[in-house]
Amino acid sequence: MSAGESAGRQPIPPGQVSTIRGRYQIPGLVWLTRLLMPLGFVAAVLDGDAGIALGTAVVVAVVAAPLLRVGWLTFRWRQERDTRFVLVGCGVLGVVVVGVVLAALGVGA
Amino acid sequence: MEQLGPALLALAAATLGSLGGIGGAILLVPLLVVTGTSAAEAAPLGLLMVAAASIAAGPRQLRERAVNHRLGMASELLASTGAVVGALVSGALSDRLLSYVLAAVAVGAAVAGSFRSGLRNPPDPACGPGDVGERVGGLAGAYPLGNGVVPYRPARLRGGLALMGLAGVVAGGSGASGGFIKTPALSELMRVPSRVAAATTTFTVGITASAALCIFALQGRIDVELAPGVIVASLLGGGVGARLQSRVAPAMIRRLLGVLLVVVALLLVVRA
Repeated sequence: MSAGESAGRQPIPPGQVSTIRGRYQIPGLVWLTRLLMPLGFVAAVLDGDAGIALGTAVVVAVVAAPLLRVGWLTFRWRQERDTRFVLVGCGVLGVVVVGVVLAALGVGA
Repeated sequence: MEQLGPALLALAAATLGSLGGIGGAILLVPLLVVTGTSAAEAAPLGLLMVAAASIAAGPRQLRERAVNHRLGMASELLASTGAVVGALVSGALSDRLLSYVLAAVAVGAAVAGSFRSGLRNPPDPACGPGDVGERVGGLAGAYPLGNGVVPYRPARLRGGLALMGLAGVVAGGSGASGGFIKTPALSELMRVPSRVAAATTTFTVGITASAALCIFALQGRIDVELAPGVIVASLLGGGVGARLQSRVAPAMIRRLLGVLLVVVALLLVVRA
C-alpha cells in the first residue's frame, strides 16, 4: 500500500456520541508535564536522600498518571451508562492489580 | 554526574524518535545496553520514557479529538496482560537472553517503521461537527480533518487485538513501547485512520508502560537516581522533535532510524 492511499469512505457510525472531550484530562496532563520538568531536573542534580526521595516521587507520578486516566475514563463511562466499557476499564486495572500481586509474591523474580 | 550519560542518550533518542514518529524508547533501551547498562535496568528506563512521552503528548492529541479511548482501552486489556506477562518473565531471564530479545525487537521496529503506509480516510460531507467523537458502547467514531469530519469503524478486531497482546509482551519484556506494532495494527489491519491510530497508540502505550513498571518497581529494577534525568530528557526531546517534525520528512527519518536500529541490534548481538 503506498503512502497516503485512501482506505475508502466508511459509513457514519450509528449510536450516541460520547461526551468525553478531555475537559479535565487536558489541564491535568498539562500541569503534570509542567511539574515533572523542574521536579525531575532538581531530582537529577540533587545528591543524597533528598534526590532519591524527589526522584521516587517523580517516578511514582509518571507511573500513576496513565492508570489514573484509566480510572477517570472508567468513571466517566459509568456516567454515560456504558456498562461494557466500564467492565473493560475495570479489567485493565484488574490486570495491573493481579500483576502487582504476582510480582509481590515473587513470581518471575 | 553518572545521570548525565543516560539523560543525554534519552534526549537524543526522544528527539529522533519523535521526529520519526516511532517513539524514543526503542532507540534508548538498546543504546543504554550497548553503552554498558544491563538490559534488566535499561528496560524500566525505556518504559519511563514511554509513559512520560504519553503524558506530554496527551493534551495536544485530546484537543485534536483524535484519541479513541474506547478502542484504546479495549486493546489495552490484552496489551496490559501481555506487558505484565512480559515483565514477570523478563525478571527471570538472563541479561544475555534479554539482549537478544532486544536486538530482535529493534530489527522488528526497523522493518515496521520502513513499511508504514499512512492510510488516509476521506472526510464524509454528510458528517458534521456534532458527529465528532467516539460512540458510546462501541469502538467506532469520527474525527475532524480540515473542514470535514472523517467517520471510521475498526475492522478485523481479533487479529488487531492479538497484535496488541504481542505489543504488550514486547513492551514488558524489552522496555520498548510496542507502539511500532500497535500503530500499524490499528491503521493497516484494523483500518483505523492513521491519525487516530497514532493518537490512540500514544494514549495506550502509557498504560502498557505503567502496567509493566508496577512489576519492575516490585522487582527493584527501577533506578530512581537515573530515572528523573531520563524523564526530563524525554519530555524535552519529545517537544523538540515535535517542533522539528514539519521541517523534515518523517519517512526519511524513519529510514535513517531503521538503519541505526539494525546497527544497534548487531552491536547488541556482538556484545551479548
